[in-house]
Formats: sequence, C-alpha cells, structure tokens
Amino acid sequence: MSRQRTMEKILTSEYVSIGELVRLTGCRYSTLKFYTEEGMLPFEQEEENLTRRFPREKAIAKIKEVQDLKKSGLSISEIKNILSLLHR
Amino acid sequence: MELSFAQNFSLIALNAQDSLHLTTAKKVSLRCMAAAAICELYLDHGFTMKKDVLTLAIQDLEQSTTTLYQETVLKAILGKNENLSDTLPHYLTHVTKLSNKHLREVELTFADSLKVIDELEEIPNLLGCDLEFKTAGISLKEYRSNAELFTRVTESLRAEILEEGTMTDESSLMLWLLRESGCLYDIFSKEELKRVVDRINEIFESNSLAKQVLPVNIHKSIEMSVKNFLTIKRQVMSTPIGTGSNFTFPVFERSQSIFIDTEALFSNKEDRLRDVIARLEENGHTFTVIHEGEVPVIKIDNFLYEAIPTAMQYRFPVQGVRLRKYPLY
Repeated sequence: MSRQRTMEKILTSEYVSIGELVRLTGCRYSTLKFYTEEGMLPFEQEEENLTRRFPREKAIAKIKEVQDLKKSGLSISEIKNILSLLHR
Repeated sequence: MELSFAQNFSLIALNAQDSLHLTTAKKVSLRCMAAAAICELYLDHGFTMKKDVLTLAIQDLEQSTTTLYQETVLKAILGKNENLSDTLPHYLTHVTKLSNKHLREVELTFADSLKVIDELEEIPNLLGCDLEFKTAGISLKEYRSNAELFTRVTESLRAEILEEGTMTDESSLMLWLLRESGCLYDIFSKEELKRVVDRINEIFESNSLAKQVLPVNIHKSIEMSVKNFLTIKRQVMSTPIGTGSNFTFPVFERSQSIFIDTEALFSNKEDRLRDVIARLEENGHTFTVIHEGEVPVIKIDNFLYEAIPTAMQYRFPVQGVRLRKYPLY
C-alpha cells in the first residue's frame, strides 16, 4: 500500500514532491508549477515521466525569497533577473 | 494541525452546504463522507483482512483508535449484525442505503470533529434576510471551511493528481470520492479535467486499490443531476447578464435575489439603509457600507452588493430594497 507521508516525515526529508511543498508552504499548486517552469525553483528529475524532487530547505527558502520580492512590488520578470544575478 | 483522510474530504464536501436542512446536494456529500470513513479505516488497517474479504465486528469499534465518525458510519452499516464480512467495494456500496436519519448523524459527527478544532464554522446565509424567508420563520445557515486549510488540502491534491509520477492510495481514493460527490468540478478547471480523466485511466491500470474502487458507484443519478443543475444555474446567474435577468425575474435563482422590506412606505434613503443594516445585524452578518446614497453599496460577507430600492407585489405592495451583486467586471 503506498501511503502519503506524514508532515513529521516530510519535515525530516531532504527531498519533497511538489504536493508536499504545497502542504509545507500553503502556496497554490499552480503558483509553484509556474515558478518551476520559469526556472525559479530548483528540482531534480531522474527521467521525464518521473516525479520531480525538490530539495526541501532550498525550495522553501527560494519560495520565501520570491514572495518577499513580490511583496516589495517587483514583477515576475524583475524577480527572475534578480534571482539569476544573486545565484550566478 | 494535520487532519485525517476523511476529515480532509469532509472539509471539501461540506464547504458552502446548507447546515440546517438535508438538501439533495448535501445528501450526495454525506454519502461520500460515510464512504471516506470506511476508506480511512481500510487505510489504517482497521478491518481484519483475509485475502480480499474485510471483517468488522461491533466490538472492534470500541477500540480507542476508532474515531466517533468512523463509529457512527460503521454502526449504521452493521445495523443489527454483530459483524460483517465483505469486500471493500461492497462495504462502500452500503452507504447508498443509509437513511436520512443516519446521514444526519454522519453530518453531525463529522461537522463536530471539524468545528472543535476551528476548521469549520456555520455562517448565516444571506437568503435568511429575505422577506419571504424571514416571515416564514425559516433560518438559513451554511458551512464554511477554514479558507487556508481548504486551499492547502485542495492544492496538494491538485498537485498530486496533475503532476507526473505515482499516486498514493490516499490520493487515488480521494479522486474516486471527488468523482462520486461531484466535487471534481469545483477543484479542477475544464482543461485540467482532461488530464484528470487520463490519470483515472492510468491508476486503474497500475494501482490495485484503484482497480477495486473506481468501478464502484455510490452516487444516485437523480441526486447528482439535481446538484449539477443547481451549480450550473448559479454559475449562469453570476455572469453580468445573468445577474441582470435574475434581478428582473428573481424566481430564477432565489439565493441571489434577496429582498429586504422597509418598515415605512415611501421611506427615504437613510431610513431604507437603516432597515437593511438592522436586518443584516439581526441575522449576524458581517458587513461594511462602502458608500451611502440612493443606491448604497454594501460589502456583506466579503461580497459587494447594491441595495436597489424596489417594491414587491403581494396582495398589497411592499416597498424595500433588493440586493444585487455589484458588477466588478
């Protein structure tokens, strides 16, 4: 039987799925999907059809960073530029 | 706080349902909530399993791990039997035979389990302010799930269903429950539903639990048609044209055309507004008057309404205002 992981387990794992990232951050799935497609969220994927794995701590920090920049009034393209400069 | 599988489903199924009356739409949800309690017990290994046959004895329900809602559902299914042995699909079909009395018990125990942790509340329905409902002494309330948790639960489900990769048993069962309760249309867009259908076919082939459960139908076609018709009607009336025609012909969608009578005939704008405010306060609504004037705009329970002076023709005319959703687009 394949069961969903408890929050306790998720909080101790190195990698999480996008669904678990939604549970952790409370962000909408479509928002995180957009960030991923725009290259703002780091992930690993063994094959094209397999689940994307997100490094938990890094991904949460990145989401927080994006949200803070958005709150300060920046557009998504400006945020993308800033992030690429910061993490070059 | 993490909710259980069945509580997560009931958070979706009970949201925006009439809390005081057993409506057709709510019956659909309650039957699925009962099925969710059975699924939860199955996932938590609460049944004694011998191959595909699950056995449950009445004394098994007295264990400390059994929740009150699980106990209520399974006692209703067991009836006068001391124990029951059946396959999971057969256990699930038992929920179609639950009486109205049992469905009310299911609702009460589920709602209480969510209310006690502040994840569900009962809020007054605006239609309760309407002259006809008020004079008939009909009080209307509806359930409202905690918005933040509702988003968290539905969005993580959307992520798991729409994303590539294997689906867990919880998500497969949740997908089946959403299909049977008609809630799929509330969570997924038309375009996304195509992907959901692909996913259903995919898990039917690859997941043994999904293969057992997906062919089971616990919905009643008439109830489902009524629910879908009412949803479509409300959606049509939410458009600018729909709102306009509903204002002229209030009978189309009563929940969107609230008439509040004013105390005096030919009252002025201040008196009219005072009467509207008094009725809203009496029914426990949260509201803010955005601007006063001949046609005031009032924000009631997070929606903007225009209070348009009008009269209703009964045996003698009654003057008052009709609330119309304020067009934002």
